[in-house]
Amino acid sequence: MQFYDCSYHNPPPPKLTKAQKDKNRRRQWKRGRKVVFQLTELMSSLSTRNMSGKLEIQWSPITNKFITWGAEIGLYQILPYREDLDLPPTGFKVSDTHFAQVLTTNCNYHLVRSLDIYPKCQKDLLLAIGLANGRVALTTFGPSEHDAANLPGKELVPRHSRYCNAVLFNPVEHNILAAGLDKYRADSSILIWDINKFNSNNEPTSSGRMAVNTMAPAVELAKPVAEFATSDVTFSLAWFYGSNRVLAAGMNSKNIKIFDLRDQNKIVNSTTTKAVFGVCTNPNDDTYLASYVENQIYLWDMRNFEKSVVTIPQTKPVVKIAWSPTKYSSLASLQRESSVINLYDIKQTVVSNEELEPNIMDRIVIPGSNHNITSFSWHATDENRLLTIAVSGAIKDYTVFDRITVNWSTNTIVWSQGRKSLRYLEDSFVDDVSARIKERAKQRYGVQEEFAKNGELVKDNLSLANVWNWLQLTVKLKEGGILPEGEDNHPGVLSILSNIDPVQNKSEVVTMAWSELGYPNCQTSIVFYRHEDRDKALQLCSWPLERDSQYMTDFLTTLETAKAYTRAATIAVLNLKLELAMDILNRAPDDTDYGSTLNIVAMALSGFSDDPVSVWKQNCSACIQRMTDPYLKAMFNFLTAIDDNYDDVLNEKGMAVDDRVAIACLYLPDDKLLEYMKKLGDELCNEGNLDGLLVTGNSENGLKLLQKYLDNTGDIQSTTVIASRAFHEYLGSHTVKNWIENYRDILNSWKMFHERGDFDIMLASFKNAEKPAQQVFVSCNFCGKSISAFLQNAERNRQLHKTSSKTKLSSCPNCRKPLPRCTICLLYMGTNSGDISGSKSTPFDSWFSWCQTCRHGGHSAHICTWFEEHQECPVSGCNCKCFSVDAFAGPP
Amino acid sequence: MCEAQEINAEHKDLIHDVAYDYYGRRMATCSSDHYVKVWDQNSEGKWILTSSWKAHSGSVWKVTWAHPEFGQVLATSSFDRTAAVWEEIVGELPGPGERGTRHWVRRTNLVDSRTSVTDVKFGPKSQGLQLATCSAEGTIRIYEAPDVMNLSQWTLQHEIQCKLPCSCLTWNPSLNRLHPQMIAVGSDDPNPTNGGKVFVYEYNENSRRWIKLETISSLVDPVHDIAFSPNLGRSYHVLAVGTKDVKILNLTPVDDEQSAQSGVTKLDIETIAQFEDHNSLVWRVCWNLNGNVLCSTGDDGSVRMFKMNAINSWKPVAVLKGDSAQLSHAQYNSISITNGSTSIPFSQTARYIKLGSISQSRETPWH
Repeated sequence: MQFYDCSYHNPPPPKLTKAQKDKNRRRQWKRGRKVVFQLTELMSSLSTRNMSGKLEIQWSPITNKFITWGAEIGLYQILPYREDLDLPPTGFKVSDTHFAQVLTTNCNYHLVRSLDIYPKCQKDLLLAIGLANGRVALTTFGPSEHDAANLPGKELVPRHSRYCNAVLFNPVEHNILAAGLDKYRADSSILIWDINKFNSNNEPTSSGRMAVNTMAPAVELAKPVAEFATSDVTFSLAWFYGSNRVLAAGMNSKNIKIFDLRDQNKIVNSTTTKAVFGVCTNPNDDTYLASYVENQIYLWDMRNFEKSVVTIPQTKPVVKIAWSPTKYSSLASLQRESSVINLYDIKQTVVSNEELEPNIMDRIVIPGSNHNITSFSWHATDENRLLTIAVSGAIKDYTVFDRITVNWSTNTIVWSQGRKSLRYLEDSFVDDVSARIKERAKQRYGVQEEFAKNGELVKDNLSLANVWNWLQLTVKLKEGGILPEGEDNHPGVLSILSNIDPVQNKSEVVTMAWSELGYPNCQTSIVFYRHEDRDKALQLCSWPLERDSQYMTDFLTTLETAKAYTRAATIAVLNLKLELAMDILNRAPDDTDYGSTLNIVAMALSGFSDDPVSVWKQNCSACIQRMTDPYLKAMFNFLTAIDDNYDDVLNEKGMAVDDRVAIACLYLPDDKLLEYMKKLGDELCNEGNLDGLLVTGNSENGLKLLQKYLDNTGDIQSTTVIASRAFHEYLGSHTVKNWIENYRDILNSWKMFHERGDFDIMLASFKNAEKPAQQVFVSCNFCGKSISAFLQNAERNRQLHKTSSKTKLSSCPNCRKPLPRCTICLLYMGTNSGDISGSKSTPFDSWFSWCQTCRHGGHSAHICTWFEEHQECPVSGCNCKCFSVDAFAGPP
Repeated sequence: MCEAQEINAEHKDLIHDVAYDYYGRRMATCSSDHYVKVWDQNSEGKWILTSSWKAHSGSVWKVTWAHPEFGQVLATSSFDRTAAVWEEIVGELPGPGERGTRHWVRRTNLVDSRTSVTDVKFGPKSQGLQLATCSAEGTIRIYEAPDVMNLSQWTLQHEIQCKLPCSCLTWNPSLNRLHPQMIAVGSDDPNPTNGGKVFVYEYNENSRRWIKLETISSLVDPVHDIAFSPNLGRSYHVLAVGTKDVKILNLTPVDDEQSAQSGVTKLDIETIAQFEDHNSLVWRVCWNLNGNVLCSTGDDGSVRMFKMNAINSWKPVAVLKGDSAQLSHAQYNSISITNGSTSIPFSQTARYIKLGSISQSRETPWH
C-alpha cells in the first residue's frame, strides 16, 4: 500500500472582473466568517474525535476481533486468558478472562477523520476510511477475501475536497455506504455510494491503484448513487435499522434531517436543534434517535420529531453516545476526560393511551481503573460487552453486569442474572445459627423430657450444654433434698446465698495452718469459710464439699480424662491439695497443648513457700504476668495472695464461671461474697454469657441475661426453650411470649409443624387448664341438638362404668332421626366404614369428614380413596371440585 | 459441596424483583417486560414455572407475597402508576387425576399514585391484611382489606407525605405486641443537600396516625433498597440500607418516661457497620431467616454476604460472582463502627464462590 498524498483538489479559480472580485471578496469574507464559526464549533465538539493521537476503538463484525485507530490503525484479536498461559509478546490482558493480541497495523492513513468496517466480513476486515480531503478509502490489512471483488485500495472521491466527518455502511444493505462531508458551496454534503456498482467497469490504473474519481468527469468511473444536503455541513450520520434506506444526519449545528434513498428529492423529516453530533439510531427500535451537543444528550421520538422527548444533562461535554445492540433501549454515553461510562435504560410506558415521560434508569460503570477513556464500542452480539480505550492506549474488555436482585427464603438464596435467568443456592454453606436451629429442632432439642438429653444435643456449644447441666443439677439437688422444695425450681447461686448475713446468719470461719497440710516450713495459715448455703452453692458448681472425699478424687479424674489438666490441678490446689496437683501435672502427657511445661509447673509448685519475702514468692509474682493459661495464673495468684486478697483469682475471666463462684464460696468472707456475686451476676448478664444463669438463676436478671444472649447470637431457639423450661414464672411475660411466638413462627415457615406441635404440647404441660376450646360441633339436621355433646357424655360414662362396649350411634339421640349417609357406601354415619380397601381399618377410617364448600361427606376412608382418583364430589349432581379447593396442594 | 442451580426465567427484560412465599416453596419474579411469573418447587426441588401473565403496562418494580393465611396472594407495583393485588384461583374442568389449572386474577388495582409506584409490601400478619406502597412523588400509602375474604376491597387508610421521592420501603417484622407498627422508607433523590434519605415512621395508637420518628441524617446518598431484619425477639431492630455502600443500623427503642407518656417510641440509632466491598452502587439488600446474615448485590455484579459475629460486629463472609465476570478481586474496605472501646478487628477472610461450580472450603473463618 502506498502512502497517500493528501493535497487538496480545488477547482482552478475562474477569471473575474474587478467588480466581481470585490463582490466575491465580500462574499468570501462572509463565508470565511461562517467557516470560522463552523470550524470552532467543530473543534469544540469533535476535539476528541478523529484527531491523530486521540484513540478510537471499534468491534469488528468478526466476533473476537476489534480495531483501534488514531495515528495508525491496529487490528487485534481477543482470546481467553488462563492463569497458566504465557502471554505472547504482542499480547496484553484486557480483562481477567481475556487478553488481546495485535495482529497487524496499517500506517497508511494518517488523517483518518472517520472510519467504518464493512459489515459483511467473514475472515478479513474491509475498512472504509473517511479522510481529511473528503475521500473515502477502502482498505484491508494485507491480502484478504475482499481482493477478489477488487475493493481494497479503491477511493471514493467527492467532487470537491473537504473533511469527511462521517462514513457509515448500511446495516442491512451492506454495499451501501454513506459519507458525510463538510460544506463546499452548493455541493452536496452527503454522498451515498454503492461499493458493488463500480466493480465491473473498473480496471486497475497504471499506478496499480484503484481510483474512482468523480472529480474529473472524463475519467469518472463511478459516481454516488445518491446525493443529499446541498450547502450543508454534515457532522454525523446514522442509518435506521428497520427502514434501512432511511438516513438521519446531524447538520449545520442546527438541524437533524432525515433522508430517504427512495425519495431523493426531499427531506423526509427534520427538526431544529443544536444537538447534531453523534446522531445514532436504536438498533432495536426505529422510533428512537439520540444525539448530543456539549453537556446534553437529546432523545428523539420519530413520531413526534419537532421536540425532543427528553434531554439528559451530563456534567462534562459528551464525546460519544451509542445504543446497546443487545438490549432493548439502553444508551451508553462517554464524557470528556472521564473514566466511567454512563448507561441509560430508557423505558416508554403507555397508560390508557397516554404516553408517560419515559423512565430513565441511569447507572455508571467503571471499566477498569481510573483511565481517561477516549472511546468505547458495544459488542454486536455478546450481551452487555463493551471495549474501551483510554488516552494511554489501555484497552479494557468489560461486561456490564445487569442489576442483580436477590432474595432469601427459609433455606435458599436466589438472585437474578439479567433478564434470562435466576440462580439459586441452598444457604447451608453459610455457617449460621439458623442452620443449627433447624438441625437441633429436628432432633427434638428443647422438648426432650430430660434436661441432660437436651444438653447432649448441644454439646458442640459449651455454654449451652452448661445451662442444661445446671438445670439437670438443680433438679437432682432438689430430688436429693439439698435444695429446698418450692416453686423456685432452678435457683441461682445468688438466691441460695442470699440468706447468709454477716451478723445474723454468718458463716463458720475455718483456719488451717499450712504446716498441718504437710508444709512444715510454712508459718502462716489459710482461712476459709463454711456455711450450709455455701455448701449448696458449691454443689451447684459441681465442686466437692470435703477436701478428702472420694467425690473429690472422682471429680478430678473426670477433669483429667477430659484433658483439663490445668483446671484439675488448680482445683486441687484450691482445695489445698498441692501434692495431688503436682501428681496431676506430672501425669499430663507431653502431647497436650502445653507440651512438657506442665512438668515444669509441677516443679515450680513443689517449691511452695508462704513466706511473703521468699524468693519463690517473688519469682512467682513475676512469672504470673507472662502466663497465658487462666487456671495456672489463678493457681499461682492464689498461692501468692497476700492478706487473703483473692481478687486476682476471682477476676480471672478465662476460668469457668462455676470455678470462680466456687472459689468465692470457699474463700470470701460473708460481706464480700454477696458483693462479689452481685457484681459477677451483673457482669455476665451484660455480656449475655449463659454461664451467668448459674449465678442469676431463673430470676428477672436471668431473663435479662437471656435477652442479651439473644441480642448477641440471634439464637431464638435456645433462648425460647430455656426460658420455657426454666422460667415458668415468666411464661406470661411479654418478653417470653414474644420469644415463643417468634420461635413458633420460624418452625412454621420451615414447615416443621410436628416439631412446633411438640413444642406447643410441652408449653401447655407447664400451664394448668387452658385446654383449647372444641373446634367443631356436630348437630342433628332435624332437631338441631348437639350430637357431639351426647357422644362426649357417652364417652365419659363409658370411662366411669368401665364398659367395654363402644357406643354405636347412627341416629340422633334426641329425635331419633337418622344421621346423614356416607356418600360412598350410602350407610348412615356412625356405622363402621367397613373394610373396602383391603387394608386393616383404623378408628380414623370411620370418622366423619366432609367438604367445607359443598358440605357433602362420609367416612374418611371412603372419601380418601375416592379422591385418589377423582376431583369432583362423589354426590351426583354436585360439581364441587372438593379436592382442588383444598388448600394449596403443591405444584402439579 | 453445593452448586448454584440455574432457572431459565426467560423474561424479556431485566428482572427487577424476586420474592419467596412464607414457606420458601413458591417464588414470584417481575420484570421490565411488564410480566409477573410464579414458580413452584416440585418434590425434587426443581423450580417449575406455573403462571406467567402481563400484570402491568409498565416496568414491574416489585412483587411480594402475603402471609399464606390470607390465601395465595401477591401484590405488585409498577411504573404505570399502579399497584395491584392478585389472587390465585383454581380453574375449571380438571380431568380426572389432574390438578386444576391455576391462574391469577387481579383483585384490585390501586390507582391513587400520580407517579411510578416504586415499592409495595404487605404488613405483618398480626395487624390483618395491610399493604404499604410508596411512590416517586414521595407519598407512602397504607391500604387495608377490612374483610380478608374479599380482596377486591381495599381502603386507603393513611397517606404520608415524605417530601422526597421514595424508592423502597420495609415494614418492621417484629412480632412483639409492645412494638408499634413501624415502616422505614428510602429515597433515591440524588441531591445530598436535601438531607437524610431514610425515614422511619411509626403508627401511633393515641392519635391513630403514622408519625415520623426519625430522618436518618447520616444517609444523604441515594438509597436503593432498605430492609428490616427479622426481629426474632431481639431487643433492638436492625435496618440494612443499600446506598453507595452497605450500611447496617441498629435501632434500639429507649425506655424512658417521656416516650412512655407520649406513646411515641424514642429510637437510639447507631450505624453498626458499613461495607464498601461492592466498590459501586448497592442495589439490593436482604436478610436470612434469622437476621444474622445480610446479603447484598451491587453494580460490581457480585452477591456478597455479611454475617453478625457478635452484637455490633459484622464481617464479610462470602462472595458469589459471575462466571464470565471481568471482575477484579474485591478489596475489603470494611469499616467497623463500634461506639465504645471494644472494636473487634475484621479478619479479612471471605470465601469466593464461583457461580458455575460452587466449591465449599473446609475451613470456617469464624468462631
